[in-house]
Amino acid sequence: MKRSKIFKIIVLVTVLSLAFIIPTLSMAKTPKKPAAGMYFRLVTHGGNDPFWAVVQKGMRDASDLLGCRADIDLCGGNLALQQKRFAEAVAMRPDGIALVINDDKAWDKPVSDAIKKGINVIGINNDDSKGAAGNARLCYIGQDDRRAGYVIARRLFAVAKRKGWYMGNLKVAAAVEVPGANYGNFRSEGIRKAMKEFGINSKLDIIDAGGLEMTTVESRITSYLIAHPNTKVLFGLGGICTDRLTSALKNAGKRPGQVVAGGFDTAPGTLSGLKTGYVEATVDQQQYLQGYFAIMTLYLMKKYGFAPNIDTGGYLVDKNNISTIQKYSPMHIR
Amino acid sequence: MGKRRASFLSYKASFTFIVFVILVVFFSFFTPNHTFVGSNNIGALGKLIPDLGIISLGVGILMIAGEFDMSVASIIPVSSFVFINLLAWNVPLIITFILTLMVGIALGTINGFLVVKTGIPSFIATLGTMMFWKGVVFAASRMMPIGLRAYLEPGSTLENVLTGTIGGYFPLQFLWFLIISIVLLLFLHIHKFGNWIYVTGDNKNAARAMGINTDMVKIVSYVLVGFLCSFMSVMQTLRIESFTATQGSGYGLKAIASAVVGGTSLTGGVGSLPGILLGTLTIQILENGLILLGAPVFGINAFIGAGIVIFAILNVLAERFRTR
Repeated sequence: MKRSKIFKIIVLVTVLSLAFIIPTLSMAKTPKKPAAGMYFRLVTHGGNDPFWAVVQKGMRDASDLLGCRADIDLCGGNLALQQKRFAEAVAMRPDGIALVINDDKAWDKPVSDAIKKGINVIGINNDDSKGAAGNARLCYIGQDDRRAGYVIARRLFAVAKRKGWYMGNLKVAAAVEVPGANYGNFRSEGIRKAMKEFGINSKLDIIDAGGLEMTTVESRITSYLIAHPNTKVLFGLGGICTDRLTSALKNAGKRPGQVVAGGFDTAPGTLSGLKTGYVEATVDQQQYLQGYFAIMTLYLMKKYGFAPNIDTGGYLVDKNNISTIQKYSPMHIR
Repeated sequence: MGKRRASFLSYKASFTFIVFVILVVFFSFFTPNHTFVGSNNIGALGKLIPDLGIISLGVGILMIAGEFDMSVASIIPVSSFVFINLLAWNVPLIITFILTLMVGIALGTINGFLVVKTGIPSFIATLGTMMFWKGVVFAASRMMPIGLRAYLEPGSTLENVLTGTIGGYFPLQFLWFLIISIVLLLFLHIHKFGNWIYVTGDNKNAARAMGINTDMVKIVSYVLVGFLCSFMSVMQTLRIESFTATQGSGYGLKAIASAVVGGTSLTGGVGSLPGILLGTLTIQILENGLILLGAPVFGINAFIGAGIVIFAILNVLAERFRTR
């Protein structure tokens, strides 16, 4: 009995020792990574949606590569909460902050104050409408939403024109998850610019899709399509709205191509819509790069003072190049 | 005649029923080209209403028992996440389905024990579990959507049974919604357990004095909510063909609003299954009808909010008739 106890103790001590020693040994063999000990923070207005999951994946891959720590705040479109998170991040004195600048006024002073305290702040995903002239952020990494809206709109309107539809009073609508948010406003501006170029004189109808919950979004887009059966071109201004376009079009009794539809991002429902022909095209803003380059840039900025502006967006996905997206989508990169 | 009217108005959900009928008639006549009763709209409503509807039935019964459950917004995505991951691990579909339902039952049981054994107000306790499970599912999924079709080909028996159509038109989701409503109607209004729910919600001490195990009544009510959340979650996942971390967002408060519109009291002991059913139908057709009518784009939520307040006032009036 006694020997058995002694044996158990020996085994326990051995296991515990190995548990501590093995990681130490492996650490000893691994060369120190360039950003070891650094800490970066991404403060975003994003929600718990697929788009931000990919940003987070980019952030994580870059921080793993550099050996730094990084966290992301997702504030669900709540500007007050985002400001609180930013203030908390500044108080932590990280080696750099990447901020979604989703308001032209609210971020002017906080960003300027943080930079005065010696904390590097860069913009990602959304920028001040006046760019560097409107906000003190040191550089910007992301998609130009106006250009992205313009790119997808030109594609959809070109298809509508090829169908021989009269463009003058073409019924055009766009569904947005968070009405009034900068991403929707800027993308709509791009769409309106393309409308002018194509001679479309009707107004762009904005559909309040009611938030981030799939069934609500689908229900509201469906109701709109049924109420406006003459809708010819339909945009999803965000990833969730675009994901639900196909189901909403089916619910409203539309056949593929009867409404030319498209939007943003590459969620599963969007890819399915591209394959079945309900969705003509979608803009991949390659948000993985926004998370990835945010960390890389903050590291290079901290070390060497680099401040590059990087446009990640405008990559148009359609049925011809969907295979690339499908290949990398399961890895949460596209 | 007057006596018959008073008798009808004394019924708790009478005003909800009247308003529901008025709304249906109004929208049927005044939506452009009567699109409200068009086949596309009816088909879409039949497919989409059950999502919130099924949750509202459970939450309403729990409210009659005197408690709230804010965690439905998390049980739904947790269930969906478990469902897809089990499929990814090649677990047979029917076992996946059963295990997913058990997840809902387990989370409901945890809520129930947390509320009755600690005495924490249910609103706070389930707000806590909502945030906890939401955090867990965010961390586990890294908020990535997971497409269903990588693991389940279209046309499985479960999919056909839960989300298929009868005659290519009538969505089975709505049939399930009706079946669940009838079962819960019998459970609440015919079975003695239903009486225990009412007595527990109305006066817990009196219920205990009558020998009713009020803790058990509440735990069973939470389990029911958890089960319904998981069932709906599987149905929704099969329909939208993916898991997303935002599934169920906002359903906690919407389900409570549906129950209140249907005449369920926030303080427990008062409410009815037909009322809850009418409440959830009313809220959802109100939104649908307003959009069909072309209500201002950014004003929809204001109309719905005003509608909820008006219903609450009408229910107070109904209560006065009832207690006259």
